[in-house]
Amino acid sequence: MSKNLGVGASLLRKEDKRHLAGRGEFTSDLDIPGTWEVAFVRSPIAHGKILEIEAPAGFSGHFFTHDDFPDIKPIRSIPETPGFRPSSYHCFAKDKVRFVGEVVAVCVAPTRGEAEDMAQACFVEYEELPAVVDSLQALEPDTVLLHDDWEKNSFIETSLDVGDIDAVSASAPIVIEREFRMNRHSGVPMEGRAVLTYWDHRLDELVVYSSTQFPHQIRAGLAQHLDIQERQMHVIAPDVGGGFGIKNILYPEEIILSALGMKLDHPVRWVEDRREHFVSAIHAREHLHRIKAYADREGRILGVDADVYVDAGAYSHWPNSPFMETGMVMKNIPGPYDFRNYRARSHTVATNKPPIGPYRGVSRPAACFTIERIIDEIAHAVGKEPFEVRMMNMVKKDQMPYRTVTDLLYDGGDYGECVRQTKELIDLEAVRERQKAPEADGRLIGVGFASFTEQTAHGCGEWVTRGVHVIPGFESCTARLMTDGSLHLLVGIQSHGQGLETSLAQVANQELGIDPDRVSVRHGDTSISPFGMGTFASRSMVMAGGAVARACRTIKAKMAEIAAHMLQCKPDQVSFSDGALHGPTGASVTLEQIGHAGYLRQDGLPSGMDPMIEAVETYEPNIATGVFCYSTQAAVVAVTPETGAVEIIDYAVVEDAGTLVNPMIVDGQIHGGVAQGIGTALFEEIPYSDEGQPLATTFADYIMPGAAEVPHIKIGHMCTPTEHTEYGMKGMGEGGAISPPAAIANAIRDALSQTGAELNETPMTPRRVKAAIDAAQSKV
Amino acid sequence: MKKFITINVNGQDVECAVEGRTTLGDFIRNEAKLTGTHLGCEHGVCGACTVLVDGRPMRSCITFAASLDGAHVTTTEKLGQDRIGAVLREAFHEAHGLQCGFCTPGMLVTCRDILARHKNPSEETIRYELSGNICRCTGYMNIVAAVKLAAQRLNSDEVK
Repeated sequence: MSKNLGVGASLLRKEDKRHLAGRGEFTSDLDIPGTWEVAFVRSPIAHGKILEIEAPAGFSGHFFTHDDFPDIKPIRSIPETPGFRPSSYHCFAKDKVRFVGEVVAVCVAPTRGEAEDMAQACFVEYEELPAVVDSLQALEPDTVLLHDDWEKNSFIETSLDVGDIDAVSASAPIVIEREFRMNRHSGVPMEGRAVLTYWDHRLDELVVYSSTQFPHQIRAGLAQHLDIQERQMHVIAPDVGGGFGIKNILYPEEIILSALGMKLDHPVRWVEDRREHFVSAIHAREHLHRIKAYADREGRILGVDADVYVDAGAYSHWPNSPFMETGMVMKNIPGPYDFRNYRARSHTVATNKPPIGPYRGVSRPAACFTIERIIDEIAHAVGKEPFEVRMMNMVKKDQMPYRTVTDLLYDGGDYGECVRQTKELIDLEAVRERQKAPEADGRLIGVGFASFTEQTAHGCGEWVTRGVHVIPGFESCTARLMTDGSLHLLVGIQSHGQGLETSLAQVANQELGIDPDRVSVRHGDTSISPFGMGTFASRSMVMAGGAVARACRTIKAKMAEIAAHMLQCKPDQVSFSDGALHGPTGASVTLEQIGHAGYLRQDGLPSGMDPMIEAVETYEPNIATGVFCYSTQAAVVAVTPETGAVEIIDYAVVEDAGTLVNPMIVDGQIHGGVAQGIGTALFEEIPYSDEGQPLATTFADYIMPGAAEVPHIKIGHMCTPTEHTEYGMKGMGEGGAISPPAAIANAIRDALSQTGAELNETPMTPRRVKAAIDAAQSKV
Repeated sequence: MKKFITINVNGQDVECAVEGRTTLGDFIRNEAKLTGTHLGCEHGVCGACTVLVDGRPMRSCITFAASLDGAHVTTTEKLGQDRIGAVLREAFHEAHGLQCGFCTPGMLVTCRDILARHKNPSEETIRYELSGNICRCTGYMNIVAAVKLAAQRLNSDEVK
């Protein structure tokens, strides 16, 4: 039996070599002769009318505003949800600016330094308007409107009412009423955005390099906003230095660079600096949840009543709009828990801040924070160990498949067992024992849990239900056997750290027995592969992996026929392994012989067979509502009560993502997700002043978790393969980031249980922790 | 006003006239044409642009090229030709110490410096020493593991 190189093997990554040699190719690395660099003139104010834009004499041909590109269509993303108020997001601000950082003009010069000098020399006169920076204040009737044709600063209000929450509220003995806040922050990939465009005269097309997660959608989006046919639009995402959702929208800057590439006779490039990233790339979260939760005296949840406010910033972006965040949080607050009474009202609020969009976890970190804090507060109220209350309320294995109160269909698994295994991994008993004696250093120890479900690999039907106007319900692959028996997989997906160049080659190995080293996965280029949706929503391995499996099986059938012809047997007698096709008698032919016949020597093919060994296939799971990965995480923290400092001293994750294609890569995704979740929990925030000025614009004021802040992370796996996908895979890329805020908040609550102090707002900075301790003590 | 300088980058003299504001990072990328050195924040915090200047790690994004006339600079591209660097590259590959690859050049340079100074660094030492390099993908787990693995291999080299 040869070594497993297919599904389940922790194969080392094919993409490492170039990065370790310093030979990665990111957009800023491209060296195309004649490239000029771009700098944007951005609004320094949060809200105001543009009175005049003035550039020094001699800037002609180097300086452009809305007036130079009147035909660029504004970004108007309108979900098919009744009542949605669309915003017109002009790529160059037109008449009005609505957040600090909004693009007003652009300067083009041979070097970045010169372009920045020019941008600084431009003068824009504004008539300032009051800034709207708070989601509750934004909805007050006398607040200034961001969009003049709206009757209030709200993209949409929706509601949900299942069961009978009024009856529950009238009789429930335990009522937990709280406000939970997850403040604005962002994904902050280490490579910022970057775009390079030029007109390719030979091909008569616009070439657009962009650091994006979804080049095919960008191609469609650019063609929709510019006067160009999509056939003349070639989008390439070269190496992309992290995305996490932040590079998963169509940006005004991408449209402007494309327009410049069409207008100017030389390549142009924009490489974002870090301040620009903080003020103009999409932000995330900014949730306020006002919750009333009801329980019986045993701690059983009877119902939840929620008011959800998402501060969505100034504009709706293409393609998904900010309602994605709000709609998902309403659906996900119930989490993995079994209760049937739920009411929620949602407000997607417009403010003078950058638009919010997807960031790893999308709304679920906030949903998890809310429901998991509630679970712990119910436990405190009824005097039970939170672990017990968690177990009591969790959807049981024998209830699967389980339809939640918000109509999510949990496809399978043993959620309680996952919590139990996490309890073992974190060693709850040992922590409880340790807590009996004071710590030598005076710190307070606490342990907290948080569980979640993660909907992944959504099919067409799910997206239709959500009302999105681009439906990413499939992925695609062209499998092409070459004349020498090596293989190309041309995929519409995009990989920027997820290791798909490796794991998709493993899928080919699983199907064809081909050595992954003889497989090239080509992605991120709209002219190479069939259309694909891109990497987001924890979908890539299931969706692209499924497409690769299907395309490989299609060519496999043809290859079996060719081999059967050569080996004088029947196609169903041919087996594939170790780079060869084997007949029933022990004779075999190599992949090279098959490839050779398929293209160069068609006389070796069975009579009547068409030449070429190539197939294009698409894939959508056989369940539209997605498959649900689930996980429980637990944190042990040490809190210094005098300062409010929190150190994570132990961390455990147990997750069930079904069949793992490459367990090494999966663990890496968990590590990275947890680290980002720790950032959300303890460090990361982009606050705004009352005037709408951003208060975190550098890494000095926006604190990223470093190696000393992220603990060693212990991981356990459960494996419940789903019947709905190829090999039983479930997506899992975002999950790591979902639990940490809740697990850490519960651990801090546990550590401070003597005082009763609670942390219900992220990030839980020393200042906030100290304030919570002081507030709790002043009550005593 | 430009200043004419020579900086030796990975063994090659690179001569050119630079503006006072030209950073070492831009010099390496635009003049020496070595794009392995990445600029992640351009204000000296994230560490992606770390290179060795006369053997010591420095942030090339906040170091002015004009101040380094005559200096010897080593970038990530050159690390493969150095025993510690080569072992580190291998260890990063085997321990899955990188995902998107953007912070990796600076990480490798910093880790090379850690291993040049510490024969057998503890996890705590490694984490402390890495505190000037931000990685957004790996949660540092496998970077720490890679440094440990590399230390082990370098030590067993010496035993041989």
